Amino acid sequence: MSTSPLPGDASNDPTDDQSGRFVRQPNGRVRPLSPHLQVWRWHVTMLASILVRVSGGALAVGALLVALWLMALAFGPDAYATFTAWMGSPLGLLVWIGLTAALAYHFAGGVRHLIWDAGEGLTPKSANLLSTVSIAFAVVVTVAFWAGLFMTGRVSL
Amino acid sequence: MSHGTKSYIKGVKVSERHGAGEWMQERLSSLILIPLTLWGLWSGWVLSGAGYDGALDWFRSPVNAIVLTATLLVSLWHMNMGLKVIVDDYIHRPASRNALLGLIGLLCMLLAAAGVFFIVRLALGSAPLPAGFGA
Repeated sequence: MSTSPLPGDASNDPTDDQSGRFVRQPNGRVRPLSPHLQVWRWHVTMLASILVRVSGGALAVGALLVALWLMALAFGPDAYATFTAWMGSPLGLLVWIGLTAALAYHFAGGVRHLIWDAGEGLTPKSANLLSTVSIAFAVVVTVAFWAGLFMTGRVSL
Repeated sequence: MSHGTKSYIKGVKVSERHGAGEWMQERLSSLILIPLTLWGLWSGWVLSGAGYDGALDWFRSPVNAIVLTATLLVSLWHMNMGLKVIVDDYIHRPASRNALLGLIGLLCMLLAAAGVFFIVRLALGSAPLPAGFGA
């Protein structure tokens, strides 16, 4: 097996590396590890991209809760009262506010990606703007939705 | 799709595996979910604080029951693909990855089956469960 020395100083010698900056590939070759999250300066596009994945994961939990809602409703008034008592508690409301934010953001982020997939908005300036707009959209929708629910008395603590 | 033998269309190699199929499905499900998500947000508004009777009334409308079923199924389809991408990115051992993908697929199918079952009962105005199942 040949491990060609990498350009640079001796500390980059991968054969006696102790820093964890190198990784042995499945084919046996030693290669430098690509920089991970903590190495990069944060960009709004990067944050926006990560948030799409995080909100998508949160929405998978949301799907479980929606299924639970359907189940409680199908099991009758007693089961439904138990369900709404849990979900209407401060902690439950916090979960649903979080899910609203996740849904609004995943929606905006998804539309942003569809715009990019169509080949539009790909200059750094446009990409930054679209990312900022999608985050702002989620914040505005979530605040408006829940402020509305509380002010119309549909939801109360 | 050809297996093993490479085929070409106009000098461009045709994929031996999934090609762009999953990519297309992700975009198609996203497009369908745009109106369904807005409708879902509106429905969440209507159903909040509506109580048991209000929710049952909501299910009496066939449009609500049908659109909710579509939203549930397309969301689970989209969710299955999204979770698959996450697992593909972070889980590298083939055995662990395939086991996890199998579990996720099963979960999505279970949610779809249970969800449709409950929606149909609610839409038909069936008696609360477990009526009809030994009680």
